Amino acid sequence: MAWKAIDRITPADDDGDAPVLSEAVREKIRSFFPRYPEKRAALLPALHIVQDAVGYVSHRAMRDIAELLDIPPAQVLDTVTFYSHFWTRPRGRKVVVACRSLSCHLTGAEAVIEAVKRHLGIGEHETTPDGAFSFVTEECLGACEQGPCLLINERLHGRVRPEDVPRLLNDPDNDRLDVPRSDLYDGIRGPTGEMEGRA
Amino acid sequence: MATIIIDGREIRCRDGINVLQAALEAGFDVPHYCYHPGLSVVASCRLCLMEMKMPDPRTNEPQWSPRLVPSCQTPVRDGLEVRFDSEKVRANQRSVMEYYLVNHPLDCPVCDKAGECYLQDYSYRFGQAASRVVDPKHKNPKKDIGPRTLLYQDRCVLCSRCVRFTQEVSGTSELCLVDRGHRAEIDVFPGRPLDNPLQGNVVDICPVGSLLDKSFLFKQRVWYLRTAASICRGCSTGCAIRVDHHEDRVYRLRPRWNPGVNDWWICDRGRFGWDFIRAPDRIVSPQICRGGEAGRVDWSSLPTMIRLRIEQVVRRHGPTSVAAILSPEMACEEAWLLGTFLRGLAPGAPLARGPVFVEGQEERFPVGCAPGQERFIIRPEPHPNRRGVEAVIEGLGGESADLEEILGRAAGGAIRALWVVGGYPRPDWPDQALLAAAEKLELLVVQDMLPGALTRRAHILLPFCAWLEREGTFMNHAGLLQPFEQAVQPPEEALPDGQYLWALAGHAGLYRAARVREMMAAGLPGFDRPHVPPEEPEHAH
Repeated sequence: MAWKAIDRITPADDDGDAPVLSEAVREKIRSFFPRYPEKRAALLPALHIVQDAVGYVSHRAMRDIAELLDIPPAQVLDTVTFYSHFWTRPRGRKVVVACRSLSCHLTGAEAVIEAVKRHLGIGEHETTPDGAFSFVTEECLGACEQGPCLLINERLHGRVRPEDVPRLLNDPDNDRLDVPRSDLYDGIRGPTGEMEGRA
Repeated sequence: MATIIIDGREIRCRDGINVLQAALEAGFDVPHYCYHPGLSVVASCRLCLMEMKMPDPRTNEPQWSPRLVPSCQTPVRDGLEVRFDSEKVRANQRSVMEYYLVNHPLDCPVCDKAGECYLQDYSYRFGQAASRVVDPKHKNPKKDIGPRTLLYQDRCVLCSRCVRFTQEVSGTSELCLVDRGHRAEIDVFPGRPLDNPLQGNVVDICPVGSLLDKSFLFKQRVWYLRTAASICRGCSTGCAIRVDHHEDRVYRLRPRWNPGVNDWWICDRGRFGWDFIRAPDRIVSPQICRGGEAGRVDWSSLPTMIRLRIEQVVRRHGPTSVAAILSPEMACEEAWLLGTFLRGLAPGAPLARGPVFVEGQEERFPVGCAPGQERFIIRPEPHPNRRGVEAVIEGLGGESADLEEILGRAAGGAIRALWVVGGYPRPDWPDQALLAAAEKLELLVVQDMLPGALTRRAHILLPFCAWLEREGTFMNHAGLLQPFEQAVQPPEEALPDGQYLWALAGHAGLYRAARVREMMAAGLPGFDRPHVPPEEPEHAH
């Protein structure tokens, strides 16, 4: 055919033959089944668990989830792509999210965003070559009174000034949470704290 | 029955339907994309919005609600008053149509759907001529989503009919909506293409030129196509179809609404399984074998010749030495004409129904549904008219025999003249038993479509036309008798089977299936009243 049509008939590059989810992750997903009348309702918890355990949801992981929940893989793809929270490509160990919405913008988010890009040397939706950071912007982080704000993994940093950015990003504890958090959707960690997500 | 008021007109409508369906059935042209009577309601396209009277919370007096409501999601109830003919409704339609065209490439000149596209129709009737958009268009990609289907995402209006079809009717769920908002697209999971036995229907229900059939792509502009109402011959379900043709060439088959039989759908086996009618080696003229040489004969001399040859056999060997094998590919009328003709010459002639093949297994949709919940069934009997031929043989009375018996008698020399109707577009026809029996015959008349071992042995060979080139009736697996029209002329000098059988039986003039059915009704009650599916409302979808 003379024009270019995207090939959707061949499987994606990240859709290998071997399953990617470990038995521990599968078991954690299965533990959500009794909560709902149907297995398919556990799709969102399953996606959270997989993202936490593997870092992102690959096409092969989507197929593993579909098999576990007894739904067609297309329905997993449908849900994964609906939420910008889920990554379908590998992301950095730390995800930096900047707010681009009104309150933060008025208080100088643009300069902060530029500072992050300059410091990391990457653009939006990109990951540093060493895999340390990914950078994205979001519409609102729900902390308008502290704008401009940055989210590093799950830790919120308010009133960020552009000149604070290098120090903030170099701080190894910049994503450590001071408050207790739920591990409801976390992947499985081994005794030394490393991920045991992959099969 | 409920009575509702649409634009000041009282409409009586069935209970349990929605206002949109009632309005369409009453002849109102209400634009809609996402609503399809065979699928669930999502109310996402926002084109069918209407004004509705609701009780005022203070006075309880019904008054026009300031908010527009989707008519596809509002069930009818007695006394409901709605209007589509209002400035507010028209303003909504105009805005929504403008929105749908923001990123549309306006490539109608190269679009297969042009001419039967609801984006075109609705733009013309409910939209506006000029676009106010100054920003560059966001260009969505074209995608190869399956072996038979292409997706032009740039033309899509995201009505999600195709997605709901794969979820609710085929039950295979290959299609999904990826991303959201203005970035949303229809897609498949990569490596899991749209490939199920009902997938062709998504092209039919796509209201715009987004989903296209690769085999029809760029083949014909739809405004040149004429349509004949036919019945599918792919299996014994007997789905009603439309045959789109132009200058005696068939371009595509599409489903025709037939509630209770195939609803709005047909399977791919029926939709694409008619290639054999274009086979280059089809038998197109009557031939008579003299001294081992086959020669073409004139249609006009044929009836006398056939009569003489059969009478000769009857004189020599008696009236039970002639038999016929009637194919389940024949129409009821043709079987009846042939049966009465032979019985006229040889009163005791046994008639048998030809072989019935089995193709695959019964396939029920949605895939994995509970028994009784089927929305579509593909049956393993790949013939349209087994029951019809059996009914005709029974209705004609006299001796009916099964195939093995007739072949046994032919092999034993009791049957000397055999008329075999084939027309099976399959390589496993004819089988060895039939060929062996054919060796012993004094007279073998074969009606067939494609040359093979049997046609080479025939003393008289007659062309069997494809069902798209004939008219008649088929009786489906449940005994429903359904007429089909002739869509195209047979190739070259071939005559439709009904026409030469009509002449053979000694009738003058043109063969008309309806007239033959009236003649049949004396012995076969009900054959003059076949089932004709209702017409769909003009603006249905």
